[in-house]
Amino acid sequence: MPDVDVIVVGAGPAGSCAAIVLARAGKKVVLIERGPFPGSKNMYGGVVYPRILDQLIPEWWLEAPIQRWVTRRSTMIMTDTKALTIDFRSQAWGAPPYNGATAYRPDFDAWLADHAVAAGAELICSTTVTGLLHDANGHVSGVVTDRPDGELTASVVIACDGVNSFLAKQEGLYGEFDAANYTLGVKETLALPKDVIDERFGVRGTDGVDIEIIGCTGGVNGGGFIYTNLDTIAVGLVLKLPKLAAQKQRPEQLIARLKAHPAIAPLVEGGEIKEYSAHLIPEAGISMLPTLAGNGILLAGDAAALCLAAGIWLEGVNFAMASGMYAGQAAAEAIRSKDTSVAGLAGYQRRLEATFVLKDHRKLRRAPELVLSDRVQHLYPEFATSVAERMFRVDNPEPKPGVRKIVAQERKRVGIRRRDLAKDGLAGLRSFG
Amino acid sequence: MIGVCLKWVDRRPEPAGVGGGPDQPDERFAGVSAADQAALEWALRQRDLAGGEIVAVTVGPAAADAVLRDALAAGADRAVRVDRPFGAPSRTVADDLATVFAEATTVWCGDYSFDRGTGSVPAFVAAALGIGQALGLVAIDVDVAGIGALRRLDGGRRERLAITGRAVLSVEGGTALLRRAPLRGLLAKPVIDVVVPAQRIDAAHPADARPFRPRPRAFAPPAGSTALDRIRTLTAAGATVAHGETVTLDPPAAAERILSALREWGYI
Ligand SMILES: Cc1cc2nc3c(=O)[nH]c(=O)nc-3n(C[C@H](O)[C@H](O)[C@H](O)COP(=O)(O)OP(=O)(O)OC[C@H]3O[C@@H](n4cnc5c(N)ncnc54)[C@H](O)[C@@H]3O)c2cc1C
Repeated sequence: MPDVDVIVVGAGPAGSCAAIVLARAGKKVVLIERGPFPGSKNMYGGVVYPRILDQLIPEWWLEAPIQRWVTRRSTMIMTDTKALTIDFRSQAWGAPPYNGATAYRPDFDAWLADHAVAAGAELICSTTVTGLLHDANGHVSGVVTDRPDGELTASVVIACDGVNSFLAKQEGLYGEFDAANYTLGVKETLALPKDVIDERFGVRGTDGVDIEIIGCTGGVNGGGFIYTNLDTIAVGLVLKLPKLAAQKQRPEQLIARLKAHPAIAPLVEGGEIKEYSAHLIPEAGISMLPTLAGNGILLAGDAAALCLAAGIWLEGVNFAMASGMYAGQAAAEAIRSKDTSVAGLAGYQRRLEATFVLKDHRKLRRAPELVLSDRVQHLYPEFATSVAERMFRVDNPEPKPGVRKIVAQERKRVGIRRRDLAKDGLAGLRSFG
Repeated sequence: MIGVCLKWVDRRPEPAGVGGGPDQPDERFAGVSAADQAALEWALRQRDLAGGEIVAVTVGPAAADAVLRDALAAGADRAVRVDRPFGAPSRTVADDLATVFAEATTVWCGDYSFDRGTGSVPAFVAAALGIGQALGLVAIDVDVAGIGALRRLDGGRRERLAITGRAVLSVEGGTALLRRAPLRGLLAKPVIDVVVPAQRIDAAHPADARPFRPRPRAFAPPAGSTALDRIRTLTAAGATVAHGETVTLDPPAAAERILSALREWGYI
């Protein structure tokens, strides 16, 4: 008899949601976290899209540790001196059931893990899982931890240990490691008085802003973001690893460059750096997906590379919560039917395929490559901002040129081939359309 | 019985209960200091060598149970929480601890807590129990026959102690690293006895919640007819620097002379 029904490794959003489901299903579940408390080691940009929580914690917005509700979403395309912003605002997003929210991970993850504990899960912190145990048939049968007497057996292990999952690698569930599949996310948290943030970002009360930026990463392919919390703002970059290494650029220098941009400097001026953090992101979407289930083991969240990073979307927490929840359901089902082999755990893949988790990934499968391509990163920002500049420039006594003429001239000047523009347009339509 | 005192403290840079900090600890950042961890480790080593029952005690609210769960997981035999709100005065905490440790042969404490404690609780516990005290230990040698220790004194001096009778010992954090609790220890269901003291002292002592201010002392106004003279008197600016005096006196008279000099100079 195993010690417990399920061991969940990692108390991030994926792990806690898996543990909530399992504990509520009456399973004996142990949630093991290497940090001193859930969320203590975790970072992200700052926006959670918690719609999936409706299924786990009804009216979660009444109790979740939220900083601000995102009511304003901007996409900024920039060059060194120009910026073109598409700005969207909806007050509907500032009222239940809400859309997105900014939250600090040490608050959010700890709150979610509290729900797992309240449901009956056993949370063990400051404990690192160092490996997997296998039975005579080679099925995963438990974990080894860094504690004395540190082995624990279970019918199913759910690896929610985040990006670069050592457990998934140990089990051979990933193919060849390719650095091009990952980006490095770096972030500064800057403290500013709440009223200053409200004024600079044009919001009131607990309304918040999410700005995604393209063209702000120098020669390195990637993107940027700014999110508002109550009295801090998060300013960060997502940087393609091979390019970053090749360019020999320091990420903190690239953030400093972004903060000095004329469109950004007035927003961040006077902010006191409270925190600098960095973390990998599995960025390649469906093309880097590992095998999601093995005998006695499931992967969820970033451990399964289920993070949607597609330019205007950087969604990982919601995918982690959902995949964790479905992994929990599939594990409970497999234990009930006394078959925790790959076949017994097939309910997991089925659930992911039937929902946004894999549907969005499949739909947006071309997006990561497109968004991080050299043209989108280095040519299109110059092209788009130049077109805008010329459209809004008044060249009297010259008459206004037509938009078509401006587009054609700027395309040529920037050096974009018509064929490439059409190809990328089509790829964009296929991905986002 | 071997007693261990564990204080549930806020381990943030601006701890709760200290001037400028929040009122209550954040449970996520709360725990015991390195000194208290060392105290528990010494208790475990003493028990492993000489036998006995380790009773870990904390005085605090229900959230403080976390430190007792960790102590049990690491190997303590019994855990007791005296139920009080966070921030009870040192004297009250010491009296609470003493009621649990009435039978203890040795009581281990950290030398001072993380939230800028004064280190007075161990001395109060010793006084309440009427037993010996060895405070501020920087090195310890636990043996079946007894405990040898090195105590920090002022001016970089050390005092070597042989502890044989009942005593309260307070240790510095660097003396020992608490062993890692085994996984099974963490998974075991902990049993914590909760003692509700007869006389409750509510919330923090108001004096404890304010920023640290040195005790006021009354001085006579400086002599002088003009403001400048008074400032000169007050600051002793321009006065001949007084050199120390050398006196030869017998010990009681010497002690008296030292005290009167300290009084004169405003130290006491
Ligand atoms: C810079 C950056 C910006 C981002 N911005 C956003 C955003 O704005 N919105 C969004 O939705 N997503 C964002 N993401 C993605 C998001 O952070 C992740 O997709 C999400 O955190 C994944 O959750 P998870 O539970 O799978 O993994 P994690 O959150 O990484 O949690 C893994 C947990 O496992 C623990 N762990 C790891 N190994 C072990 C071990 N061996 N033993 C025990 N415990 C272990 C860790 O300590 C951690 O608690 C961003 C990511 C980065 C890096």
